[in-house]
Amino acid sequence: MSGGYKQQPGSGGNTVRKDGKRVAGKLKFQPPGAGGSNPKMKERDLDFIPESVGGKEPQPAGSHVHDRLRTGTVVGKEVALVDANPKVIGKAEYGDDVRLGGEIIGKILRSPHHYAKIKSIDTSKVEALPGVIAVATGADAPKTFGVLPVTKDEHAMAIEKVRHMGDLVACVAAVDEETALHALNLFEVEYEILDAEFDPRKGIEDVDEPIHWRGKYHVGNTNIQKRVFQEFGDRSLVESPAASSSRKWRFEGVHHGFTEPHAVVAEWDATGRLQLYTPQQVPHYTHRALSTVLDVPMHQINVIRTFVGGGFGGKSDPFPHEMCAAILARKAGRPVRITFDREEVYWINRGRHPSYIEVKIDADEQGRVAGFDIDALIDGGAFASFGHVTSYYNGVLATSPYELGSFHYTGARVWTNKPASGAMRGHGAVNTRCAVEVGMDEIAEQLAVDPIDLRLANLLPPHCRTITGFRITSNGMREALTKVREGSDWDNKFRKLPLGKGIGIGCGFFISGSGLPIHWDPNRFPHATVHIQIDMDGGVTVHTGAADIGQGSTTAVAQVVSEVLALPLDMIHVRSHESDTSPVDLGSYSSRVTFMNCNAAIRAAMEIREQLLNAAWEMTGYHPTTLVLNDRRIYYKHDPAIGVSYLEALHKAQEDVGALIARGAYRSPPMGGVHKGAAAGLAPAYSFSAYVAEVDVDVETGIVKCTNVWAAHDCGKALNPLSVRGQIIGSCHMGLGQVLSEKMVYGRTGHLQNANLLQYQIPSVHEMPHVTPIIVESSDPEGPFGAKEAGEGPLLPILPAVVNAVYDAIGVRPNTLPLTPDQMWSDIQKKMKELKIKDPRKLESPRLEHGNLQPVLEQRAEEHRIRDGKRQRTEDTSAYVNGALFGFDPNIPMEDQVEGWRSATEPEPEKLAELGIAGKAWLKQEQRKMGGDN
Amino acid sequence: MLMPAFELHKPVSIEEAVALARDLIDSGQEFDWVSGGTDLIPNYKWHINTKPHVISLAGIEEMKSLSMTEIGAGVKLSQLEVSDEIHPLLKTAAGKVASSLIRKSATLGGNICLDTRCFWYNQSEDWRRSIEWCHKADCGTGADCRVIPNQNTLCVATYQGDMAASLISLGAMITLVGPDGIREMPIEDFFELDGMKKNVLQKGEFVCKVTFSEEVSKRVGAYKKLRVRETWDFPEAGSAASWIPGDLSSLRIGTTGIESIPRSHCKEIEQHANWNDEDSIFELSQAVQKSVKAVNNTILSPRYRKAMVSVLTRRAIEEII
Repeated sequence: MSGGYKQQPGSGGNTVRKDGKRVAGKLKFQPPGAGGSNPKMKERDLDFIPESVGGKEPQPAGSHVHDRLRTGTVVGKEVALVDANPKVIGKAEYGDDVRLGGEIIGKILRSPHHYAKIKSIDTSKVEALPGVIAVATGADAPKTFGVLPVTKDEHAMAIEKVRHMGDLVACVAAVDEETALHALNLFEVEYEILDAEFDPRKGIEDVDEPIHWRGKYHVGNTNIQKRVFQEFGDRSLVESPAASSSRKWRFEGVHHGFTEPHAVVAEWDATGRLQLYTPQQVPHYTHRALSTVLDVPMHQINVIRTFVGGGFGGKSDPFPHEMCAAILARKAGRPVRITFDREEVYWINRGRHPSYIEVKIDADEQGRVAGFDIDALIDGGAFASFGHVTSYYNGVLATSPYELGSFHYTGARVWTNKPASGAMRGHGAVNTRCAVEVGMDEIAEQLAVDPIDLRLANLLPPHCRTITGFRITSNGMREALTKVREGSDWDNKFRKLPLGKGIGIGCGFFISGSGLPIHWDPNRFPHATVHIQIDMDGGVTVHTGAADIGQGSTTAVAQVVSEVLALPLDMIHVRSHESDTSPVDLGSYSSRVTFMNCNAAIRAAMEIREQLLNAAWEMTGYHPTTLVLNDRRIYYKHDPAIGVSYLEALHKAQEDVGALIARGAYRSPPMGGVHKGAAAGLAPAYSFSAYVAEVDVDVETGIVKCTNVWAAHDCGKALNPLSVRGQIIGSCHMGLGQVLSEKMVYGRTGHLQNANLLQYQIPSVHEMPHVTPIIVESSDPEGPFGAKEAGEGPLLPILPAVVNAVYDAIGVRPNTLPLTPDQMWSDIQKKMKELKIKDPRKLESPRLEHGNLQPVLEQRAEEHRIRDGKRQRTEDTSAYVNGALFGFDPNIPMEDQVEGWRSATEPEPEKLAELGIAGKAWLKQEQRKMGGDN
Repeated sequence: MLMPAFELHKPVSIEEAVALARDLIDSGQEFDWVSGGTDLIPNYKWHINTKPHVISLAGIEEMKSLSMTEIGAGVKLSQLEVSDEIHPLLKTAAGKVASSLIRKSATLGGNICLDTRCFWYNQSEDWRRSIEWCHKADCGTGADCRVIPNQNTLCVATYQGDMAASLISLGAMITLVGPDGIREMPIEDFFELDGMKKNVLQKGEFVCKVTFSEEVSKRVGAYKKLRVRETWDFPEAGSAASWIPGDLSSLRIGTTGIESIPRSHCKEIEQHANWNDEDSIFELSQAVQKSVKAVNNTILSPRYRKAMVSVLTRRAIEEII
């Protein structure tokens, strides 16, 4: 047989070394035409072809609409990320690796004050400094931008006011970094210092100088950026609960802690177009913002996404420094590079909101969840960023996986003079989820039942509607809970371990793609588009705008195309870096990429597949329905000897049209309610997860060490199990940081005290527990091959699992995160005072004796297990709406329902006084209702 | 993060180093010593108290002795952590400093002379400018202390060297060399209560080695370090204890990570000379705790750090008896 294409001149020889590794530059492809007579064609891998289409892959959750596209090539197999090699050998170019000829270095002048009016900026001395090429201030770019169209409140550089320490004031580009840094000292800025506010609890009070002004929509004279009120269900259910947990939480702000600091390179090329290199999660929004701020049409800007050294939500806003680089480059006529110090990374922030969250959970005598009352005050820092959405997410993403009798949510996001909070892995859902899951644990304790059984008896089924109207499709929550219970040997450990050792459970629920995109009109544009192009060489070029931020989206796209066309992964080349060549994609946020982009890719691949099959039909005479694609060959399914090679079919298909070109798009189906805020949290699918964590608590020092985690996550279908497990383990690490040690510390003066990686304490390898990832596959009917997200949801359960394990270990229920040793110690001291003991080693860990309700719950859980199985396999397709457990009938119109079922999005005036700390935001009126409209 | 330029001098003998220092002093030039650089260079990158000249002690072979009774200041911590020549307590303590990467560069002398640390001091230049500087790095403004404003002239930055506690508990002597000759003293006398002055080193003087009496080999010791993560972090509190088994009066305790200097606790041991059971060890540990005072300038709360001194001390003693 032939040795294949020669990838390099010279030697023939083997393409594989003795140790089985591939020889660099040599691929084991057959020459053109191979496949047709190649006796070495791989057998169809029936283990990876679903049962429903004649394979051996088990499908406990039922068949899937994409089953017939499965070729057993790569989906479901563990493959290395396709962009792993350049990263591992150091060839991947990240933001700061971009070097253009004649580049100069940009530096940013930042505000030394928390809040001040800029009275004047004198740049004359800067401009006079030899080596300085360009200088810019806010006056050079007066237009506002922001990631959400409703809250564009950022400028490239401050216009009238600086709003937090580190806010951008001006920028300079010089021949080298030293000169640029020196130039920063020569700016003369006159400030008028204003009273800064750092405490979000004061944000709902009237002040003289609100941090932003929203005109007639401004709430009073406060710093409230967004307020939310939602009430659903039957509130009478919570009037006399059998068990009730009410806890006031405080969550510190946390940062993504990605490895690569922000960096950007901008160049106006010879044709006058802007080429902007940036490690962005959402290049498209940067593209839009650049166009607005620079006053240049979008088609004259090419945004080039470099490799992204970690994002986690922290690189998804359009950033002011990206504007600065473009402005400086335009002035200088030379490429400008700006790279952040770690400190600047913290100043631009966009991390998780510091939050005050109060969660009250009530349960009735049958162990049903009568109500969730959630009040979340979140500290937005100086800008809106994603905050509008976060304000909703903190409530609405708690409405599943449990069936609720009622739901009451008040939320408010306020501006403070701190670096802006934004979106971070598990956006808006993490803190409330922790509070809710700890509340569930407390309810279980009050009812004397096992907390896992309490959960199992209150789960929403697959294919249902939540209390606020989310459409749940696949749902692997029950399986996840069952698997971690078995894996962790829960029944022999819970409430049975000695003092200092504990085990705890936590669940999670997250969106798999946001149903309504931020910047898009779904009636006019799809969410994701993929182009596929194949020329005579047979290589497949896939164009997508999806931003691989290390999560593996490029690999996922390559995988689905490879699967549908039955081509090896090496033949798929994904081009996703440039906005010039990539179809628009909305970016890597809200865990949307695998779901939406792979769906689009499948559609494009299907179109190519059809063209190839038609060509093969013409050549073999067998109808496409009787043809099989397998390993670069297309053949008659009953006689593999009758067939053509992939290249033969391809060349036939190209005869009249040249290169094959196809496109596919994804748009989420219409869904959701019509109430105000109904769109927030809508997703075409949702992921579910359940974790059990084991901890060791040193009762004397308060040091908590998480030792073991069993982590089950329902990702629908693991396209690449290696990647899913990686996401689960990585999520554990990130979540552990928030629960154990990470926090942004704002000191007495409002300064961020730990803007560095020594004192912002991300757990090290020593703090990592042994994680056992468990993949649950519920096969989502609309997901690509059944897949849902696995990038964010897996973070959620680790926080409550650890907090609940701490309670199991020492009987102390913390409600301030992170559980740093000093925080934990003071919680232990409080408990000791309560118990009147002096030695913490005399503490007792809680024990459980099952009450009468336990068998009731077990029975209900068993009935629901059977119900859920039928619904999952679509043997039962009746409608199911949250509330059925309480007698709600979805077939009866809302107004004729059980008395009490309601939905409201504004509080009744007489109930204002009862609202929580964030709810008090509703005591104020908008300016337009106060007669002001300025 | 650009470091300001400085001139690096690389003497190869103690004599040459002293001569270099003398020359710089005579010509009115400011300078710093550097050895592994893991403390000085990060501070320089933050533009903290930078000097135009830096004299490196890294090339001086005389300062790399390694035995049970003598360790040169230039010995790397990574050498200590694997050495069977030295007291096991020092081996353990060295292994607990920062991370393996840092220990590959960091030296014993550098760890002893570690600059004191503070939330208001270990920050970038922009950051410190925005609080109008602090007492320890006032940039000529005479700025007040930001931890405890309006107090006095002392700097309360915290000493967070790991090795000092163990060295104190083993009764180490420290040898200093400078233009005025050689001097030797018990290591606890080396430190001076002021976060700015830190120790008794005169201009041009540097730590040459630490030595121990022969009896050190009989000592059994333990070091307990409080930190959030098992790597990287400086001690938020640390306590080392050692004794010659059977001899209650031989107990020595050193604590670190709490105040501007590490402490020796001879006085408290004297007052609790009969520390032979659980209760008396508890009381002794409490007395050690009471003798130290923490301020709010590191990552964990001062109240907690102080409280932990007792726990760490008790655990250190329990481990060696």
